[in-house]
Amino acid sequence: MGRAFVSGLGGMITLDEMKPGEHGVIHKNRARGVIGQRLMDLGFFPGVEVFVIRNAPLVDPVEIKVDGHHVTIRHDEARFVEVEK
Amino acid sequence: MGHKKMHVALAGQPNSGKSTIFNMLTGGRQFVANYPGATVSIKTGAFSWQEKKISLTDLPGTYSLSSYSEEERITRDFIIDQSPSLVVNVMDASNLKRHLYLTFQLLELGAPLLIALNMVDVAEKRGLKVDADALSKNLHLPVITTVGSKGRGKNELKDGVIKAFDSNLDHEHLHIVDYGDLESYITDLSAKLLQSQIEESKVPLRWLSIKLFEEDEVAQKLVSSNFKNPEDVRNYVSKICSEFERKYDDTPRGFIAFRRHLAAQKIEKRCVVKTKEVSVTLTDRIDRLVCSRIWGPLILAGIIYLLYELSIVGGYELTNYMVPLLEGFRNAIEKFLPIGTFLREPLIRSLVLNVITSINSVLIYIPIFLILFALIAILEDVGYMPRMAFILDKLFRRFGLHGQSTLPLILGGVFVGGCAVPGVMATRVIADEKARLATILIVPLMNCLAKVPLYTLLISIYFAKEKALAMFFISTITIILALSVAKILTLTLLKNRPSSPFVLEMPPYHIPTIRGVLMRSIERTWLFVRKVLTIIMIVAVAVFFLTNYPSVGEERINTYQKRAEQIKNVFTSKIQNTPFASQFKRDKDITRYLVIEERYKNQKRALFKASDERREKFEQRFAERYSDVYPLLNAKGKDGRALNKAFKVMKRERALLLMDLRDETLHGSFLGMAGKFLEPVTRFAGFNWKVNVALLSSLAAKESSVATLGVLYQQKEDGQTLAQRMKEQEKGFTPLHALALMIFMAMYPPCIATLIMVKIEAGGWKWAFIALGYPILLGMTLATLVYSGGTWLGLSGTQGMFVFYAIALVTAFLLGKVKGSVVETDIDEKTLKGKEVANL
Amino acid sequence: MKRKLVLGVLLAVSVFVLGSVAFAHTPLCYCYLNGDGTITCEGGFSDGSSASGVEMAVKDTNDKVLVEGKMDELSEFTFEKPEVPFIVIFNAGPGHVVEIKGEDIKE
Repeated sequence: MGRAFVSGLGGMITLDEMKPGEHGVIHKNRARGVIGQRLMDLGFFPGVEVFVIRNAPLVDPVEIKVDGHHVTIRHDEARFVEVEK
Repeated sequence: MGHKKMHVALAGQPNSGKSTIFNMLTGGRQFVANYPGATVSIKTGAFSWQEKKISLTDLPGTYSLSSYSEEERITRDFIIDQSPSLVVNVMDASNLKRHLYLTFQLLELGAPLLIALNMVDVAEKRGLKVDADALSKNLHLPVITTVGSKGRGKNELKDGVIKAFDSNLDHEHLHIVDYGDLESYITDLSAKLLQSQIEESKVPLRWLSIKLFEEDEVAQKLVSSNFKNPEDVRNYVSKICSEFERKYDDTPRGFIAFRRHLAAQKIEKRCVVKTKEVSVTLTDRIDRLVCSRIWGPLILAGIIYLLYELSIVGGYELTNYMVPLLEGFRNAIEKFLPIGTFLREPLIRSLVLNVITSINSVLIYIPIFLILFALIAILEDVGYMPRMAFILDKLFRRFGLHGQSTLPLILGGVFVGGCAVPGVMATRVIADEKARLATILIVPLMNCLAKVPLYTLLISIYFAKEKALAMFFISTITIILALSVAKILTLTLLKNRPSSPFVLEMPPYHIPTIRGVLMRSIERTWLFVRKVLTIIMIVAVAVFFLTNYPSVGEERINTYQKRAEQIKNVFTSKIQNTPFASQFKRDKDITRYLVIEERYKNQKRALFKASDERREKFEQRFAERYSDVYPLLNAKGKDGRALNKAFKVMKRERALLLMDLRDETLHGSFLGMAGKFLEPVTRFAGFNWKVNVALLSSLAAKESSVATLGVLYQQKEDGQTLAQRMKEQEKGFTPLHALALMIFMAMYPPCIATLIMVKIEAGGWKWAFIALGYPILLGMTLATLVYSGGTWLGLSGTQGMFVFYAIALVTAFLLGKVKGSVVETDIDEKTLKGKEVANL
Repeated sequence: MKRKLVLGVLLAVSVFVLGSVAFAHTPLCYCYLNGDGTITCEGGFSDGSSASGVEMAVKDTNDKVLVEGKMDELSEFTFEKPEVPFIVIFNAGPGHVVEIKGEDIKE
């Protein structure tokens, strides 16, 4: 029952694939459980603007501006967020 | 309702300035307690206003009211069980949308709400103006504007609280959030629950319904226990949930959260006006440096260094001022204790002095902690902590730790001497339970300040030529070993603990308030003193008995008595031609003089830095009180010198005699027996029974001269000197021995104070025992490996050092490569772009 | 035999638990003139630990070492009073150093 998903269609990627300086609008938050909760707590909702500010000195985690506010999350967690560029 | 005491709770998201509001209202009169069974602490305080007494509880900061974290559960439980008269929801005006997310949930929970719109000054700087009236109208709630850090809005808030209380608000029927397509189901479910409730529900049924659709575990449990036919309810909920998901490609939970978000967005649009466009804030500019690839770590290192310099080194300087105070305290008590004989001290004297020394050893830490906690409070308030976690998280994660483990490990002592007590206290902020416990357990392995003199001594004797190298070795080996241990712990013991997401807010920097910092510092220091002091006193007494009983037998005492007589006779014969001879006719005259002379010296010493006037007064008073012997104390002239010299000799001889007696007592005591008992095992680490006793006693019976320092430096029995002994490798202590000992000391289980902190932060004595037990095993194993392995391979001390270091590094590196346990989360498998699911 | 073993282990563990107040190790050092041309320094730590074995040094104002040694088993160190201005250094490791100026030493 899964949707066939073609990457590149409509510029949809996951948050962990975005590079510093890139913008986007959140399409969907796929995380469930406690990670999903946390992401929502900090404002990761469909329609919200995100902007990748920088990666940490050791690459992970990444600092993101969500809806105007700064948040840092690990790439592992960012991959659940689908973003439209 | 009107004349009862009011209970008000403060709720809000982290970084909303809630604590500042709390301080503003209570003016510092507060009391911190741990919620039973929890590691989260609750602050309560009180204030009076308009002739009413109001008690205030500061609930933990939470983003939401799910049941995932302890903070959230406690907040919910408090509101449900304690039914506070009012809940003041503190909000950050510059982030209204996100904070409203919590507000809605509080309303749904049925909490009588008052909004404290805080940090309006910061909002203004960011170009955001919030219309408090509009907000109030939209929420149907009273709204008070405040700037907690500047104390603005204090009276208005207090007025607002009283007013809200008097007007008896009822919000249960206030539905601000429209859950769209889910609304009908919520209503249906609420009706169902109404019918099947066993007794009147403490929670609003609408809230319960919503929570059930959110698949909230605690809500599910509540239904099972308080409602008839819970199966029905459960089936209904699952049915609706799966239908919903099929139809909307989203869980009800996600949908519910989204609707809240939309509602918040709508309200924000109506109440917030953007007055200017601020694209790059000061915070952004600072972060460009602080979080950058090169400067970030450098700045971090700089801050660590500063932290040490100011607190440990600076605080240490301050302890020099504490010392005279504490000695004064000791001297004051000493005066009242009985004197005893030349050879034996009365029990009460020894015991009391012993306990006082232990008490002093705790009190002396106060200046260090005050400074340290103040500095940490500053770092916290400024907002640097998430940045610290940001920089180091990747490294720590490999070992099962967390970016926020940075501070605790630093405090415990990386490279230089630290203290495990504040280190363990600092683990409180780590949300991830697995990482927090791992951090708590490895902080004691770090370089504690008290271990430094031992390292120094051993190095100066056995690694004299490579001092710097050896010092570097022992300082750095601890963090390497600690990381490895953390990894092993998270793979084994802590394997099944839940992991939390890392998602962290990076709040804008802001200047801390002096008052906030000072109060936190005092609060934490006081907590430490209070908790530790009582236990330490009990321990000191217990230790005293273990090291003095069973005491030396009659026969041996007689031998000592004979020596004592000799010493006394030598003294009296030397002074018989002086006018002082008459003073020492009786045996007890000698003993009395010894004690008084010691007393004189101690009291004089405590006045070392005092004014001349005070010193003179002291001399006068002493002369009056001890008029018969005072002239002897400063006797001059030929006779005076003779007395002095003879006295000094006697004093020294007596000290040596007493030391021998103490040593013998120690060896025959319970402690001594323990040392001998352990020898068969410790032998492989190169520790003979004397070393065991020294180890045990260096920590337990500090006054004993058989402290590790002494026994390694001089063992009088063979009459050999250190140098001679070092030549005979078999009998004596070799550098390899020393290395094994140093490694064992590095791992040595934490002091009592730390163990107490572990119990508090980890939530149980079980953890304290683990924190005590595993280092013993680890230390013994490593020491044994080093000594036996090194001996078998024929390595010298220095070679052993290199080999051990290399092995430790490699082990840590390899362990870091091992993948951690699987992340627990449900993933929407269908739509995740063909990526590997759940396999990290 | 078994009971002795259990007792012994219990004892050892309880001692470890009860021990460990090794804590604030503020170094202490006091020096006195002995009236016969020598000076005695007594050392210790604020928690009562003995300071025997700790390195002692007496230096002049140019940092040249005049006397060197260690605290003896009674935590004392005696040396001849130097003719020149001097300082006494009690060195128990980094962060555990006490320096005493010669001119501050009295009876």
